[in-house]
Amino acid sequence: MSEAIHHMPKAKIQKDALSWFFWTLPVAAAGLCAWFILQDFVFAGPTITIYFQDAQGLQEQNSMLRYRGIKIGDIESLKLAGDKKMVEAKVKLSHSAADVARQGSLFWIVRPQLRLGQVSGLQTIVSGSYIAVQPASGARTNSFVGVAEPPVVVPPGIEITLLANNLDSLETQSGIFYRGVKVGEVTGVRLDQNARFVVVDALIQQAYAPLVRSDSQFWNAGGINAHLGLFTGLQISAESAATLVSGGISFATPEKLGPAATNGSIFFINEKADPKWQSWGPLIPMGQTMPDAPKIKTSMPKISPQITE
Amino acid sequence: MDKVVACQTCGLVQEVDHVPKGAVVKCSRCNFQIFHRRVGSRTRTMAFTVAAGILYFPSNLYPIVTAEYQGQFTQTTIFQGIRALWGHGQYFICSLVFCTSMLTPAMKILGLFFITLTLDWKRFQKTRAWIYKMIRIVDPWNMLEVFLLAICVSMVEMGEVATVNPGRGVFSFAAVVVLTLFATFTFDPRLLWDTPAERKVYE
Repeated sequence: MSEAIHHMPKAKIQKDALSWFFWTLPVAAAGLCAWFILQDFVFAGPTITIYFQDAQGLQEQNSMLRYRGIKIGDIESLKLAGDKKMVEAKVKLSHSAADVARQGSLFWIVRPQLRLGQVSGLQTIVSGSYIAVQPASGARTNSFVGVAEPPVVVPPGIEITLLANNLDSLETQSGIFYRGVKVGEVTGVRLDQNARFVVVDALIQQAYAPLVRSDSQFWNAGGINAHLGLFTGLQISAESAATLVSGGISFATPEKLGPAATNGSIFFINEKADPKWQSWGPLIPMGQTMPDAPKIKTSMPKISPQITE
Repeated sequence: MDKVVACQTCGLVQEVDHVPKGAVVKCSRCNFQIFHRRVGSRTRTMAFTVAAGILYFPSNLYPIVTAEYQGQFTQTTIFQGIRALWGHGQYFICSLVFCTSMLTPAMKILGLFFITLTLDWKRFQKTRAWIYKMIRIVDPWNMLEVFLLAICVSMVEMGEVATVNPGRGVFSFAAVVVLTLFATFTFDPRLLWDTPAERKVYE
């Protein structure tokens, strides 16, 4: 037997370098789990609660919180608040957007909206509604009450009051036009205290404020003006396509300029324009209130053409 | 200790001298490793099993796939997928997916852990052998391909309209499958009938 073994080849013996290596695997696995947990709990943003009157269009787990077009949070749950008058939406913010959770931030739900003269939120027809936010810089808080309408950024301008016998086709967001240029819009309509007039609140943009003088004449420019004349035939005119559907107010200022209108100036809206008004052509210095055209600096290299002879 | 060992790769029977600690034996003909018992089999199997056991949790808790379609966001874990299959009345596919992707890996991990942990006990010797046999039987049914295929198909099909991304779960799941595969591979079944004394010699 020992002789047989003697003729056998001998195996080589080498050093084993890998025996410790296998225990790095459980360590790596635990490290991976720790990283996941760290991401979920430590690097996660806070969870905030937003109360809405109506959460129509939102879906649990599916809808998101967006700001400037990107997702900054997930809706974790939607349920009725204790008194059943509100919907309680729990939103998990992403880490980078944790700063949104501050007092004064406004949250609203973006849904598709179709109005005369205005369409918004069309993308939400396919993507579903989402919550939008306008961040503020108050103290940190985790509880908010959502607003029903998106906040309107009020541009600087002067607020004037217009009185009319009849509202006709005017409504909020109808335009105020000067020579066909939109210079402001209606911010609200209501009846006056004695229901004698319709009170139309309007905002004239700051840049166009000098156009409105104390003796400016306003008239309703909505709808179609049709005039049937013996020699002129049928004349149909409308201020603009937009006023056709959503109504509008035009005004003119006489050549002899009165004092500029201020906040709270009151004017009367005439039913029809006097042809005389339309011929007024005052020179109104717009001053420096006109917004400057953005200056575009070009970094184009100056190329001086070289003419070879 | 036997002095004669056959190479498992080329079959050459050869003589092995005394092996010092921390050394390996190579076949004199094909240079592949030869052994009485697979080197460090028990600890390596245990290492693989522990790693797989740790990763089994994220593989089931995290979504395997996340899809974003026009701002709509969905993510699905393995279990949610199984429930969806059940809800659609696909009972056979549902049970198949449940067995291959949730039950088998769990049983394998538990079984290997039990074997390696209780190897020195006198009791359960037959049970250990039976468990090992079962693991070898169900091994081919550990189908990672099913899920990979499902994800690939959805990526190709929905690539135009939706963004489909593999989630954290699928990476963990893939790691579990590979780790359990290695765990069974490194386990030397001869350890099942070695006595503790013999095992010490072969270690």
